[in-house]
Amino acid sequence: MIIDVNAYLGHFAFRPLRHNTATGLLKLMDRQGIDRAIVSSASAITYRNSQAGNEEVAAEVKRHRGRLIPFAVINPSYSGWQHDLKCCCEEFGMKGLRLYPRWHNYKLSDPCCLDLVNEAAERDLPVSIPIRAEDQRQRSWLVEVPDVPLEEITGLLKACPKARFLLINGIGFAKSPLGTRKAGLPPNYCIEISRLSAVLGNEVGQLVADLGPSRLVFGTGMPFNYPDPALIKLAVLDASRQVKDMIRWRNAAGLLRLAR
Amino acid sequence: MSQSSKEKTIVIDCHAHLEHHSKPDWQDNDRRLLQAGDKLGIDRLCCSILTPRRPATAAGFRECNDWTADAMKRFRGRVLGYCYVNPGYQREAIEEIRRCVEDRGFIGIKLYNEYTCNEPVVFPVVELAIELRVPILQHAGHAHYFNKDQPRISDGGHLAELSQRYPEAMLICGHVCGGGDWEWTIKALRNAPGVYLDTSGSVIDEGVIEMATELLGADRLLFGCDMSMTAGVGKLRAANLSARDKRKIWGGNMKRVLQARGAR
Repeated sequence: MIIDVNAYLGHFAFRPLRHNTATGLLKLMDRQGIDRAIVSSASAITYRNSQAGNEEVAAEVKRHRGRLIPFAVINPSYSGWQHDLKCCCEEFGMKGLRLYPRWHNYKLSDPCCLDLVNEAAERDLPVSIPIRAEDQRQRSWLVEVPDVPLEEITGLLKACPKARFLLINGIGFAKSPLGTRKAGLPPNYCIEISRLSAVLGNEVGQLVADLGPSRLVFGTGMPFNYPDPALIKLAVLDASRQVKDMIRWRNAAGLLRLAR
Repeated sequence: MSQSSKEKTIVIDCHAHLEHHSKPDWQDNDRRLLQAGDKLGIDRLCCSILTPRRPATAAGFRECNDWTADAMKRFRGRVLGYCYVNPGYQREAIEEIRRCVEDRGFIGIKLYNEYTCNEPVVFPVVELAIELRVPILQHAGHAHYFNKDQPRISDGGHLAELSQRYPEAMLICGHVCGGGDWEWTIKALRNAPGVYLDTSGSVIDEGVIEMATELLGADRLLFGCDMSMTAGVGKLRAANLSARDKRKIWGGNMKRVLQARGAR
């Protein structure tokens, strides 16, 4: 069993994505042996009204709920987010949130964001934070969107200890307080591996040792990314089968409250 | 990686680096690179060592190449060496390339960002590479903003221009997946058949390998990692290409480049 916590449907504003429909993504998942995936709208990253992207995803996954787990992209600095959140949870049955603070022009410490995260905690929804949408060096001449600073995330984890977080598309955790239990942060977050090294610096291995294997989850970034690099990381990681199974799916299943 | 043919696929990482010896853990890091190669099925790693600060002095690049030569002995058959020079030190650079290629078996030349590759100061190096029948691996990238840290970084357009001037040169455009807008780079190289494109870099954007193959042809792509090991292997493993094309990219093309001088 493999659960990918980092997948997308829809279009991205700055380059074409393939395999970006439910059918296309499922075919790609089948080719790679990936059973289930958390998906959110790629279009909602640049839509002003992100709810339009959530509606598109809700329609796409309707017939594939057994395999595609929709997350809502909510912008707490945009009018009507409370209604959007309610709709995504209660009408669309979305199972978590994805936040793009830099793309959507707010900070994780802003009161509106804290309100959203606390509301997510009330609803028992995990909050996924992509550190980036794409590599900075290839950015369009139109935009300059920095990565979400890890320090800002640290502040949010402390401010909302009851919330549960999923940190995706990130790197450099091992050298930050997020990468060690010794920092005393609430254990309310998991780190996804798609950008972490599994050889040379071996950040995955360091995090398994310093943070514990229950805090790492598998993700690919499909269809922005090829899925194989993340799969290879798991294959070459020096870890027991039990640890690999935790990363491959068990930790994600726990985060999503999936029946085992 | 899966072998989709009974024919042995040779895997050559055309873009790797060993550690500068000012790093206290350089030996461990070099060993880790070889171990990663073992785990990932990489037969050979084409390596250079760069000075920590650029522009490199002549003494600085000579020292780096001495260490590369040592590594070629320590990891015989696994580590192949690029001779790194700063073309600004023209006489020293030419002497160093001859020393490394003719006397020590280096397989190519590594140029970084001291000069844009189409500047006249680089031409003597290119002419010597042609004479010695070795490739030049050129650090490259194209961003849509001014790169203040690398004001003279080369891009696919510069390499295409250089190739037009020296069509017999074997030029390698470095790390298409670590140098900014890869779509721009691939398109810039479309009409430059003398330029190979190295697939290395940490970016694993779905479709990059297929687009490069479609526009440039599989014969012009060289597998590389540039130390992003699982990214390098994973993107080529994932690409929707024929087994024949993949074999060329994994190492067949680089083998052909190396054979130009007689290396095996």
